[in-house]
Amino acid sequence: MLLRRIFLAVFGFSAGMITAGGVFTVLLAVGLIPRFAGRTHTGRKVMLYETMVILGTAVGDIVSVFEPQMHWGMAAGQVLLVLYGGFAGIFVGCLAMAIAEMLDSIPIFARRIGFRHGLGVAVLAMALGRMAGSLLYFYEKMYLFGG
Amino acid sequence: MDNKVVYIKPKRNAEVQKEEVFFKDIASAACSDTHLLAKTKALKVYQFREGEKKRAVISNLRLIELIQGLEKGITVENVGEMDTLIKFVKIPEKKGMIVWLKVLFVAMISFFGTAFTIMAFHNDIGIHDVFSRIYELVTGQKSGGFTALEIAYSLGLVIGITLFFNHIGGRRITTDPTPIEVEMRIYEKDVDDTLIETADREGKTIDAS
Repeated sequence: MLLRRIFLAVFGFSAGMITAGGVFTVLLAVGLIPRFAGRTHTGRKVMLYETMVILGTAVGDIVSVFEPQMHWGMAAGQVLLVLYGGFAGIFVGCLAMAIAEMLDSIPIFARRIGFRHGLGVAVLAMALGRMAGSLLYFYEKMYLFGG
Repeated sequence: MDNKVVYIKPKRNAEVQKEEVFFKDIASAACSDTHLLAKTKALKVYQFREGEKKRAVISNLRLIELIQGLEKGITVENVGEMDTLIKFVKIPEKKGMIVWLKVLFVAMISFFGTAFTIMAFHNDIGIHDVFSRIYELVTGQKSGGFTALEIAYSLGLVIGITLFFNHIGGRRITTDPTPIEVEMRIYEKDVDDTLIETADREGKTIDAS
């Protein structure tokens, strides 16, 4: 039994290391956090952001792997949910745009159709489209199908 | 009169805090004639005007022209960049509060965003099913969901990203820059390149006359 436990531990540890490497190389390749730091002129604080990435991963991992029972009470729970939802939403929104940009889909389309002006409108339309899609997804309970 | 050589090394990106930009703000220089060197460094190369854009791109041909205008028979050797991006940055009077709010904002996105990413990833791969199946395979017993496997996985994950980012808190594990620091420099360089290219295409580069 002990031997099996050790095997499981080695297996789990290796899986964790590889997941960390894989998931975070992708996040980094997209270059999201440098962009946030650049936009807010807080490049000096990059170490703090990295620490937050590490902490965020640790907490997210504990929550989703162990699923601890947390009873925050209604008020504190709502605040936490809004914080989590809001910031995770910003992150995913930026991630989606950054991936689209990394694949150069927007410049290529713009070139093909001879697009010169109105890039701001196109970007706004994309943002609104995402929001509409996200709201529709939850409202129509599309997560019940497929997946 | 013998020929004097001034070596100049303009920066790629210079931040200035005054409207008047002098040669020494955007480039370094070397010359055997200390008098000429001092004159070169004190050359005024650009003036930001009120209400104007806070950014200018100067072609270093303009610098060479200005230096050659100082005396006759000067040769200028450029050992640095071809174009320099000058940014006029006024130091904000009250910076503490807003900067901290920005830092907090980005820190929050980094924290909740990655927490969400890893949870979504676990959900995607159905980590519970995978782990309980492996547990049953190895031990022949039902998994309670809180086993050596899960604990080791979490440990591995945290150690993995700590090694990846190369620091614990503010303490570096090795002296290399962290991956985000590297990305940050690449991003800044890309932005500078774009600004210089754009100024060139729009004909706004301050060039030699």
